[in-house]
Amino acid sequence: MSEIESLKGQLDSLQTAALVAFAQAEDLSALQQLRVHYLGKKGALTEVLKGVGKLPPAERPVIGQYVNQTKAALTQALELSEAELAVKGKALRIEAERLDITLSGRKQAVGALHPVQQGLDEITAIFAQMGFAVAEGPEIEDEFHNFDALNIPPEHPARAMHDTFFLKDLHSDSGEPMLLRTHTSPVQIRTMKRFLAEHGEPPLAVVAPGRVYRCDYDVTHSPMFHQVEVFKVDRDVSMAHLKGVLQHFLSTYFEKEVGIRLRPHYFPFTEPSAEVDISCVFCAAKGCRICKGSGWIEVLGSGMIHPNVLRSVGIDGDEFSGFAFGLGVERLVMLKKGIPDLRLFFENDVRFLRRMGVSK
Amino acid sequence: MKIPFSWLKAYVPLTATPAALADDLVRLGHEVESVELPRAAVKGVLVGLITSKIAHPDADKLSLLKIDIGSAEPLAIVCGAANMGEGDKVPVATIGTSLPGGITIKKGAIRGETSCGMCCSEVELGLANESAGLLILPLDAPVGMEVGEYLALEEALFDLSITPNRGDCMSARGIARDLAADAALSFTDVGGKELLLDASIGAPQVVVSEHECPLYMARKIDGITVADSPQWMQSGLILAGMRPVNGVVDVLNYVMLTMGQPMHAFDANSLNGDIAVRSAVAEESFSALDGRVLKLHAGDLVVSDDHGVIALAGIMGSEATAVTDATTTIVLESAFFKPSRISETRRTYAMVSEASMRFERGVDPAMVSIAMQQATALLIELFGGVAGEVTVRGDADSINSGGRVVCSIARIESRLGVEIPVALDDTLVRMGFGIQRAGDSLAVTVPSFRHDVSIAEDLSEEYARIVGFDAIPSLLPPLATSAPAKPDSAIHDAVAGGFLQAVTYAFISAEEQRLFVADDGLDIILENPISDAMSVMRRSVWPGLLNAAKRNLNRQQPGVALVEQGRAYQRTATGHDESSVLAWLMTGEVVSDQWHSSARSADFFDLKGAVETWLSLRGLTGRFIADDTIQGLQPGQSAKILVGRAEAGRIGRIDVDIAASFDIDTPLFVAEINLDLLSDGKQAKFVPLQEFPAVERDLVFLFDKSNAAEAILNAVRSAGGKLLADARIFDLYQGKGVAAGKVSLGVRFSLQNAKRTLTQADSDAASTAIIAAMEKRFGAVLR
Repeated sequence: MSEIESLKGQLDSLQTAALVAFAQAEDLSALQQLRVHYLGKKGALTEVLKGVGKLPPAERPVIGQYVNQTKAALTQALELSEAELAVKGKALRIEAERLDITLSGRKQAVGALHPVQQGLDEITAIFAQMGFAVAEGPEIEDEFHNFDALNIPPEHPARAMHDTFFLKDLHSDSGEPMLLRTHTSPVQIRTMKRFLAEHGEPPLAVVAPGRVYRCDYDVTHSPMFHQVEVFKVDRDVSMAHLKGVLQHFLSTYFEKEVGIRLRPHYFPFTEPSAEVDISCVFCAAKGCRICKGSGWIEVLGSGMIHPNVLRSVGIDGDEFSGFAFGLGVERLVMLKKGIPDLRLFFENDVRFLRRMGVSK
Repeated sequence: MKIPFSWLKAYVPLTATPAALADDLVRLGHEVESVELPRAAVKGVLVGLITSKIAHPDADKLSLLKIDIGSAEPLAIVCGAANMGEGDKVPVATIGTSLPGGITIKKGAIRGETSCGMCCSEVELGLANESAGLLILPLDAPVGMEVGEYLALEEALFDLSITPNRGDCMSARGIARDLAADAALSFTDVGGKELLLDASIGAPQVVVSEHECPLYMARKIDGITVADSPQWMQSGLILAGMRPVNGVVDVLNYVMLTMGQPMHAFDANSLNGDIAVRSAVAEESFSALDGRVLKLHAGDLVVSDDHGVIALAGIMGSEATAVTDATTTIVLESAFFKPSRISETRRTYAMVSEASMRFERGVDPAMVSIAMQQATALLIELFGGVAGEVTVRGDADSINSGGRVVCSIARIESRLGVEIPVALDDTLVRMGFGIQRAGDSLAVTVPSFRHDVSIAEDLSEEYARIVGFDAIPSLLPPLATSAPAKPDSAIHDAVAGGFLQAVTYAFISAEEQRLFVADDGLDIILENPISDAMSVMRRSVWPGLLNAAKRNLNRQQPGVALVEQGRAYQRTATGHDESSVLAWLMTGEVVSDQWHSSARSADFFDLKGAVETWLSLRGLTGRFIADDTIQGLQPGQSAKILVGRAEAGRIGRIDVDIAASFDIDTPLFVAEINLDLLSDGKQAKFVPLQEFPAVERDLVFLFDKSNAAEAILNAVRSAGGKLLADARIFDLYQGKGVAAGKVSLGVRFSLQNAKRTLTQADSDAASTAIIAAMEKRFGAVLR
């Protein structure tokens, strides 16, 4: 065999072995080693090339071309294997990194507003949007603001209905005994007085949320609860306006068109006075356990502000009129969220608070 | 107030169904609590005769009864009541009967003795809310008859809630009058029989020395034989919620319930001398019919004889002068007492009676005499006897009721938002008003029984209830647009940090108050608390939160993080103060065991971080100053919080003994900030973002433990020069390799310049300066 044939034979067997090795390479690093082994500076191909020098010069280009072909074949096969291994390697990595995505996520600590706070916020916002200004007042009140100015004189039977908490040895500047306010209505008096001092005369429209206290404690009464007082005084304010505002408020709050019914009632601070019922939100007014079969649920007390109340702050009842109503926040929240028991609000069970904190 | 339908029908020819009538009543302002059909509700309850009664062998308070209900064998019934004996007739609920309270009677055994039914009181029959034992039926009740049939519970029973201004409707007659006027039906008064009087029976001598009794009538009836009142009257009284007592008392109660005028009868033979209506003398003693002995206050309105008080006027009579079965001569009283006086006295002694409820709301002065007449006629008809003349003190006309209201029709219409056509006047006229219209002017005379009507607004209410509130349109008033005040976001920012908002009572116990506030006399104490546990206005929210934490831990909650916004209350030199506070509590797990993390309990820095975050959300920064003197907190883990110049709050770990007293053994952390002391924070303003990169360096030093991190970082900041952008402690280590009393702190600082990229030389210079400062200020050694 001639020298050149022998070299070609070596190159051929090198190529065959290399192609097999490349195809069998398990991963990129094995392939890298093979590249070095066959194509590196001190690799097998270089080794074969050392034999080229022994060839006569005329044959050298022939074998040179042959070597280049072999090199190209090896390089191409190498790249192919690399590409295959890259794909395979990625697939392996993906498989290795596969997660059980049903494991729970890392939860962020999320707080929650108390349902009563949510109710206060929602209610106040509805009235604020209607142009009512938000006002607050003290919880420790005097008899004048809590009773007398609201047309509840000392001997009035309604005064007894209020189950007032009195405070020991605490007196107002004028020497009256102090008490925990039994309703948010005194804010009416304080706000009207302040407003008149600044602006001289109505109109004013106010929403006053707050805590109130009654000496009454059983399954359906809490000695501390929350009310929102709403009132508007202007020229020609009428009972029709009261109905309009109530209808808008109640439908907005309950997020559906509710029917409302006003029933004549008695409150010392309003005349005429009306209890307000809504069509039962649980049974679509068909009659159920919650509405005691009547289809109506009592939600708040309302009326036209009594002229004596207007007079107590210096507003002329002949010129101006107003409506007022006070609503129990816990009651509205219970109705909206289906909370069965008033006591849940004050137990502060974190399971309840978390559950009721769901924003929808 | 319960009114049987038949009582209304006695005055008005009503044809409406009970349900329709209830709607009318509601529209007229008389709240209908319920419409009951008592007979249907007690089907299966029979009249039974107790044929034997022996004690239960195994229970002191139970009896074994044999009861004849007309069947072959008497029923054996175990009964816990005490007021019955052999020969009594009682209502017996037989097996299978469902009672109004929701119980269904089943055969059973009580302490080993078989019981085949249940004997009932008014409560079980749904006729009253309380009773003093079984309902004992009259002896003529036929054994085996349905009790519903016997008691003539044929009808509907309206349970009405009458508002305090409508004293005139505290009777069947008053309600009937309103209904008749509204529906334009005829109204027929009951009674008015001519009486034969005997002048030889002296009229009672009465002296009225009190203006709070403007009208007092008394009459003697002689030769009366007190017996049970007739069945129809007893049935009516039971339906109306009153227990039959004796014939005389029953008649007076019946007159009160139907006509609205409370009356009283004294046993004339137990009276000594003349009757006086006067003010009580302080400490005067009064033995009331209900068994209570009262020490009266000066000014209480009483009726007395020569020996003392015989009645707390309008509220309750005395035990000694009460009419009994043995009574033969009575003195009847019918009067008008001033409502405010009755109201005050009734409250003073916590004594409510059907009579006081009516006097308090104001009775019709015109009825005082009519009721006297009607009661006398009924008593004589039922129990015999002869009546004497009536002694009258005062005068119905002198009582300031009724009157005249003149106003503008336009004013009423503008207040109601609806027209009031002339046709409505007819209804008011039927209700007893006199009406004259002249142009826009309305002149109304008010009947004596409507003392609630005195101004134009009262009239507008009358028109409103006649026309019906439903007829008033629903209009939105012209709405002002006002810039709504920014809502207070304190609590919203606080819950954003993962806390649950709590709401606890503003009153706590004195002991709880003392946990965190010394007794300095500034507590505000309730005069009439619900209980000792709710007797003092809180000066700190912490006790409320501690109780909430206790409850939650008891309910197996592993961690509790609560925040409350509320007020704290205390006396001040000039009066009192309510300040708005925000309070936090944290205890137990902040992180629970999870596949990705292990559980961790709350510590001081969890809560400090929450407070810092809350302050930063409001544009504020707090300085935490270690303070070992805060009451109730553990020294070394407590601090006051300075915001600006104000000492606005406190934070720390609850003393372990206090925690233990709430059964809490996990570390408990609390904080409190007085919102009134906070100034407005800085509003966020835009600052250009840095374009050139920051370089970061870490240095680790050994410090003496006594050095505070805050002081170290302040020194780092000043030593780092103008380029220093941030510095923090990134590592803290004590233990192996660090000598006792020392602590290894890693300080990481970053440098940044707005105009260029920093070089190695910049960070070397800063490091050198910081190392030098640490050595010089704190003697710290670079590790």
